[in-house]
Amino acid sequence: MEYSNEVVIEAKNLKKTYVVGETKVHALNGVDFTINRGEFCMVVGTSGSGKSTLLNMIAGLERPTKGQIIVAGEHIENKSEGQLVIFRQKHVGFIFQAYNLMPNMTALENVELPLTFQGVDKFIREKKAIKMLKMVGLGKYAMHRPTQMSGGQQQRVGIARALVVKPEIIFADEPTGNLDTKTSMEVLKLMHNIARTKNQTIVMVTHDNYLASFGDKIIHIIDGKIINIEDNRENAERNFASLEENINNTEAMAIV
Amino acid sequence: MKFTDLLIMSLGSLWKRKVRTILTVLGVVIGTVSVVIMISLGIGMKKTMLDQMESYGSLKLIEVTESYDNSSNDDPTAGKLSNDVVDMLKNMEHVESVVPILECSGYLLTGRYKCYVNIYGVDYEGMKKLDIKLASGQLPKDETEIKPVYGNNVIAQFFDKKTNVYPYYELGELADVDLQNDTIFLILNTMAYDSAGQKDEKGNIIKAPKKRIVECSGLMEGGVEDWNNYSYYVVVNIEALKKALKKEYKNSTIPGQPTTKKGKPYKEFFYTTVNVYADSMENVAELQKQIKDMGYETYASAEWIDSEMKTLNTIQLVLGGIGAVSLIVAAIGIINTMMMSIYERTKEIGVMKVIGCRLRDIQLLFLMEAAFIGLIGGAVGTGISYALSPVINKALSHGEDMMFASVIPPWLVVLAIVFSTIIGMIAGFLPSLRAMRLSPLEAMRT
Repeated sequence: MEYSNEVVIEAKNLKKTYVVGETKVHALNGVDFTINRGEFCMVVGTSGSGKSTLLNMIAGLERPTKGQIIVAGEHIENKSEGQLVIFRQKHVGFIFQAYNLMPNMTALENVELPLTFQGVDKFIREKKAIKMLKMVGLGKYAMHRPTQMSGGQQQRVGIARALVVKPEIIFADEPTGNLDTKTSMEVLKLMHNIARTKNQTIVMVTHDNYLASFGDKIIHIIDGKIINIEDNRENAERNFASLEENINNTEAMAIV
Repeated sequence: MKFTDLLIMSLGSLWKRKVRTILTVLGVVIGTVSVVIMISLGIGMKKTMLDQMESYGSLKLIEVTESYDNSSNDDPTAGKLSNDVVDMLKNMEHVESVVPILECSGYLLTGRYKCYVNIYGVDYEGMKKLDIKLASGQLPKDETEIKPVYGNNVIAQFFDKKTNVYPYYELGELADVDLQNDTIFLILNTMAYDSAGQKDEKGNIIKAPKKRIVECSGLMEGGVEDWNNYSYYVVVNIEALKKALKKEYKNSTIPGQPTTKKGKPYKEFFYTTVNVYADSMENVAELQKQIKDMGYETYASAEWIDSEMKTLNTIQLVLGGIGAVSLIVAAIGIINTMMMSIYERTKEIGVMKVIGCRLRDIQLLFLMEAAFIGLIGGAVGTGISYALSPVINKALSHGEDMMFASVIPPWLVVLAIVFSTIIGMIAGFLPSLRAMRLSPLEAMRT
């Protein structure tokens, strides 16, 4: 596997301070890191460590108190909310923990939604959305509503929705948080495979060290500070390979 | 986002919350109905009044009479309504037509009855504009012989030549005269008739004028008790009247006509009244002012309709205001519904922002939802008002008299729907702003 050295996300001395009553809480206290193109990056930390804040800031959902964020060559810390929406339209896909599908829309319409927001023609966006649904293995579920699908299926729709605009970067906030272990691994594998083939960058936040071990780069964060950035490429390759094997074995066992 | 997608999405979210949408729409429906009905009542009042006015005379009509103030001028014809004046009026702007009228008096004689009448000379075209309703016969077109149309009150004016008793007023019965079939004589030179046989100033014996038999052209509609503008008149063709007057008065002065300084009559006739018809009601006031400035006396029924209209406009405004109160309540209902909806959909809105929905589109989505509530409410409301209007008219009408209690013209329908839609949008503006300003971080809350 070839790795690119092109930096796609860069954070410099990132700080975020919340004022709660009269005390200041430092959610992030000076964070520096880079993420390369095509990398599957894991941000690991306990609850309250600031990992979600970090993700929100590099995705442009939250403004840093101090510091710089350069994503896909653009400084985003000074952009207005309107500019950030356009920025997300162009560069970013998002996968949520609670899937966050529109309850009154079918799976197909949900996947179409980012394209709808961009003003793409109905015909074209349907074609793209169906292709995306097939890719996540839900071709037959296009006309189902979220309430008619399992958690794993909903998250696949969520992934299809994030990927349909062919974003350079995909942000995932605990995407497996609401799923059982088996489905979690499937979703993880799906994300990994699609991103790999399209050379897309994934930044995933998790509290689970086992899940984190599948990332090319693991950023450990505690109390708003990065304590360790781990290069995990070789392990990740191995983990995915053994995961493949395990699944094959279980399937073989099931057949026997 | 494409406009159609915005449309479908906003309709979709209204549809998703059917009960609430219907209830909010219901508020707008009630508001619209009350505004439309209130305004329609005002329009109905105006229409009833205008119709009544119309029956008193055309609203486009300006009656021009000669100037009173001619003392300063040496010319006896100054300020009189000559043919030149008629031509001048014809050439004025906004004048549709000009009808000169010559009035004089005369006697009608038949059997033992005599009658003093006012004669109204007008040409055939002008006659048609007078809104004279005939019970029988037709308007006189003949310009050589006088063929009168008798007003329905004329019959009451006959009295017995010998006893001087008015059968109608004193005995309570109509004179035994059939205006259509009896032989009727018309005397124009009443002075000569009354003083026949006596000597005039020059000592000549006055000869009684030749009795002129007139053939009835028509009778006006209505009983002897019914009144209209011409019911006391004998209406004749003006050209025939001029000829008859000339013949009967020969070289003496016709009453009402001016004379030269030497006391000689003029060759031409000066008119009693000239009816000037404006091309539209709006131009009546301006035209009237211009004619007045030329020194002539004018009268237009539009004149006092104006002040009447102002009163009615005020009443209409008050009625509309009362109706508008419920529309305001409905607007508050829309605001409430939209606020609730946004509160419920906080997360949804957050997600939309995260996955790339522009701020303007979010605002538009909510504005359109509110506009739809207004539009649907307005359309249903006007529909109901349309159905309600004849019911009100029926309930308020007195017997056969057609009263326009409630009138809904097409412009009111369009205005009501547009207005309620705008109200919806105004009501939706604040909530839509709120939706637009929601943080995308709301999407991350679990």
